Amino acid sequence: MISVQLVALISLAYFALLFGVAYFADKRREAGRSIISNSHIYSLSLAVFVTTWTLYGSVGRAATSGLDFLPVYLGPTLIAFTWWFFLRKMVLVSKEHNIVSIADFISSRYRKSAVLGAIVTIFAVIGIMPYIALQLKAVAHTFDLLTTTQVGPGGSAQFTPLAPRMDTAFIVATVLALFGVLFGARRLDASARHEGLVAAVALESIIKLVAFLAVGVFVTYGLFDGYADIFQRFFATFPDRDYLVTIGTTQIPYAKWFSLTFISIMAVMFLPRQFHIMVIENSDPKHIKSAMWRFPAYMFLINLFVIPIALGGLLMFGGDTTHADYFVLHLPLESGHHWLALLVFLGGFSGAAGMVMVSSIALATMILNHLVMPIVIKLRFESHDLSGFLINMKRLAIVAVIFQGYLYYKIIGDSFALVNIGLISFVAATQFAPAVIGGLYWRRGNVSGATTGLLLGFVVWFYTLLVPSFVRSGWVKTDILENGLFDLPLLRPTELFGLSGFDLWTHSLFWTMFFNLSAYLLVSLLTRPNSIDREQAAKFVDPESYREEEQKRRRISKAPTIMEFVNLMAKFIGEKQAHATIAEYLGDREIDERGSLSEYDLPNLKRFAERTLAGSVGTAPARIIIENYLSARGSEMEDVFDIFGTVTLSRTASREQLGVLYEAASIAASGEELKNILDNILELLMRQFKFDLCVIRILDEDRNSLIVRSQKGMSSEHLGESERDLSMDTYIGEAFLTNSVNKVNDTDFLEKPHSAQIIHREGIKSFAHAPITVEGQPMGVLSAFSRSVKGIFTEEFVERFRSLAGQIGVAWRNASQTRRLIEVRGQERELQIAKNIQLGLLPTQTPKTTGISLAGICVPARQVGGDYYDYLERGENGIDLIIADVSGHNVGAALIMAEARTFIQAQARQIDSANEIMEAINRFFYADLTRAELFITMFYLKYNSANHEMAYASAGHNPPLIWRRDSNACEWLDAEGLILGIRKEVVFEEKKGTLNPGDLVLLYTDGIIEAENAREGFFGRDRLCALVSEYHDRPPQEIINNLLDQVRLFTGMQTFNDDVTMIVMRVEK
Amino acid sequence: MKDLRPTQIKEAWTLLFVLGVIMINYPFIHIFNKETTVFGSPLLVVYFMVGWPLSILVVYIFVRHLEHQPTEDEGKDSEE
Repeated sequence: MISVQLVALISLAYFALLFGVAYFADKRREAGRSIISNSHIYSLSLAVFVTTWTLYGSVGRAATSGLDFLPVYLGPTLIAFTWWFFLRKMVLVSKEHNIVSIADFISSRYRKSAVLGAIVTIFAVIGIMPYIALQLKAVAHTFDLLTTTQVGPGGSAQFTPLAPRMDTAFIVATVLALFGVLFGARRLDASARHEGLVAAVALESIIKLVAFLAVGVFVTYGLFDGYADIFQRFFATFPDRDYLVTIGTTQIPYAKWFSLTFISIMAVMFLPRQFHIMVIENSDPKHIKSAMWRFPAYMFLINLFVIPIALGGLLMFGGDTTHADYFVLHLPLESGHHWLALLVFLGGFSGAAGMVMVSSIALATMILNHLVMPIVIKLRFESHDLSGFLINMKRLAIVAVIFQGYLYYKIIGDSFALVNIGLISFVAATQFAPAVIGGLYWRRGNVSGATTGLLLGFVVWFYTLLVPSFVRSGWVKTDILENGLFDLPLLRPTELFGLSGFDLWTHSLFWTMFFNLSAYLLVSLLTRPNSIDREQAAKFVDPESYREEEQKRRRISKAPTIMEFVNLMAKFIGEKQAHATIAEYLGDREIDERGSLSEYDLPNLKRFAERTLAGSVGTAPARIIIENYLSARGSEMEDVFDIFGTVTLSRTASREQLGVLYEAASIAASGEELKNILDNILELLMRQFKFDLCVIRILDEDRNSLIVRSQKGMSSEHLGESERDLSMDTYIGEAFLTNSVNKVNDTDFLEKPHSAQIIHREGIKSFAHAPITVEGQPMGVLSAFSRSVKGIFTEEFVERFRSLAGQIGVAWRNASQTRRLIEVRGQERELQIAKNIQLGLLPTQTPKTTGISLAGICVPARQVGGDYYDYLERGENGIDLIIADVSGHNVGAALIMAEARTFIQAQARQIDSANEIMEAINRFFYADLTRAELFITMFYLKYNSANHEMAYASAGHNPPLIWRRDSNACEWLDAEGLILGIRKEVVFEEKKGTLNPGDLVLLYTDGIIEAENAREGFFGRDRLCALVSEYHDRPPQEIINNLLDQVRLFTGMQTFNDDVTMIVMRVEK
Repeated sequence: MKDLRPTQIKEAWTLLFVLGVIMINYPFIHIFNKETTVFGSPLLVVYFMVGWPLSILVVYIFVRHLEHQPTEDEGKDSEE
């Protein structure tokens, strides 16, 4: 016997250790360095499946009925094969929706139904009751056993309970409740995860395994001589008990074997605590991978010594199975190994504590979310901070869950073996299977089916398992078992509808599943799913493909601000938490100038708030809270008008949209008249998107305003017909000036008062302006108005709208290019005319003045030049050389030249001096030149070969060059005089000089000296002079040709940029 | 199993699960449910105590395969 004090002390020390580990894990989590986020801890924590049932009950069962303890662990091993897709899907979906419990999972899947959540919760709480009772019973019993067992002289145990007034189970329940509160409800956490709890559970799992292996090795190899020895002795001692090592016997028919496998598979997946540890506490779905073999390996090891211990116990106690459930403890105690017994006790306590803590926390969460919250919501919650109330409710729920287990224990007492009590809970957990598995893989499964199935399953479970357990304990009269409800034999709980000959479990499993599954399938098939059903089904059945799509198409009208969301959340999760989570959420998001999120981020924020609340109160209550809140302030979620009239699958939608764009592009490229193109594009826009008014305005640069070029839809003088100034005061002006789409999805909120007036008068609900651009530059605006719907302009649609505006830009550019082409063709013809005029003006032959040789050329740069040269014979010896350059290269300039020529030819002969001729020309042309905005530079040189005298005047022309034979140098002829056409009265200077034989005069226009190459700059006068010196003795025509060649060489181009005109005259000897 | 695609892996797991259920149930189990002993232990006990770790080994090998194919792992992510 070990003293109560010692056991209590060691138990307390163990509590302290567990709590220390949990505290450490929580701290580490806060520091962001989780110790539990790895596959080892995850796999170990899954072993919360192993409870006192395993540690004590398996042996008990192995000793009494045989191998049927095994399916409870073989089933989980098998289902682990499917975890890679099945469990992972559950985890992924749960994380996606911030699901916090199995009730939450089922309710989320089925329309976020609050009723369903409540049903699952009640079911789970009642269903788990026997299981908790089992743990209390086992721990209380082993504690008593440890502290009271006297090892008698004959090795037989004397078992006397502790002082009768002391209720060990009550103390154990209290301690475990305290534990549950400490681990699971110290404070209200926005996240449903409890890393401290997981760490403690993992540590407990190690203790369980170590304890059980230790006692196993001790019995098998300490008390006996290995497996074979035990079996040999067993067969020798109890030859009639060979049923303990076979199945298909009366104790374990094959049907029962299968039933046990089946319910164990379901239990390991759907018991609230398993779901909690596997799904909710999973920190990374990758951990599932190695848990798939680690967890089964744990199952295997924990069962390795069950048979040896059981058979060893039978051998030790002479076949007495009274205390078979506690052989594990009795064997070391009897043999005086108290420390080993203490270790086993700690192992058993670990199993119980882990199971009770996790179950009570998981169930308390469910109670809080699905039973308390709906009532709280009903009673209105505006007034104050609820977080304190909620955390206390959670604590209360934990205590309540544990104590209802205690109550059941008090009722059932010792009337059932451990395993049998646990199996009642297993069958209860199995009832969740159709709703969960169907929910994950069958789209048609809906809320009605799930609710009906669960309710029926629950009722049948209660009637076929729970009621018999009450009867057996004597709490309920045995009548019902023998005669059935209302004395109807067909309703006998263990032989329902006459189904007899099966064991309790198979019978119950069959009927519960029969009703549950068929109701789920039938009702689901017979009822029509609504849109929320379909949406939730899609999210669960096909989470990956749904996520991409996730709701871009909803908006909130009269949306709350960020702060309002924070305040709302603070009510439920506390102010600090609320601020912390929102800060995290906003961290990487853009906030607009008003300190709020964009219209399309607000629904995201709403969803985030809902998810955050869901982490604390569950999804269904979170949805109700948010919806109540929004509706209370008059906001509502509206479906964004589905512009494409198709299901919201982005792929099909974008195909439709691309179709519209394609059509618009082909309209733009149709080559129709611009007006028609614009009309057609608007037509398309109206037809496809059901706008009430579409307008295209194009910038008129002269008036600096946007002029309506096309308009379709309702007639509105202000919106559709009037022009718009470019100003930031209007939406359209802003769109143009900022070169970006300006959209208003809800005209109840307009910032520009001027626009608002018109918009409201016309009853516009939403509108958008997109700049029409050509090569990135805005040149107009496409506007669309809707009177019927708000929120047309989703981000996605705005993109399309902008592209449409782009197509209009293309059409506009094409049209204006065509116009320019026509202009160019017109110009070409004109230029040809001018060229003909010009060529007609130039002298066709060189005068035969004596004593000189003469040549002239005009090389027009393009079709028509502004240059002009002429000779005027004055008798036999006299000659006038005229060179001029008219600015401009059009017909006008050509006509001016023609006029000048006529004037000179007609008038010059009557005027003797060069300057007077210039003055006359200037006077005559001033008016014409001014009107045509043209002017002329001109050089006029008179020469008489008889006396070798020359006289000249210049109207701002390039000074001609004289090469003097005597000095072999260049001179430049210059005279004062303004360009023709600047002033009406100009006095020109006449200069005089002589030209001696061999001297050479070169008159030229700026086309030569301003010929340019990139390296050396202008051709220049010096180069001209040098060349003339070189070629001075050649015939003038050859000099001209050489000079042209040199200029071409210099520029490196065959053609000239400007007209090149030259006259070369040499005085002959 | 080098070229297994995610869907095939899913099918492979399901197959193993179904095989497992068959192998521990009637009628398959009947093969081992005999009163003979192997190494001094009843045949059925030996069947479970050997078959169980073997099945865990199979899972282990499959999981190792998953881990060595990180790309397929990601492909799997998108598949579900």
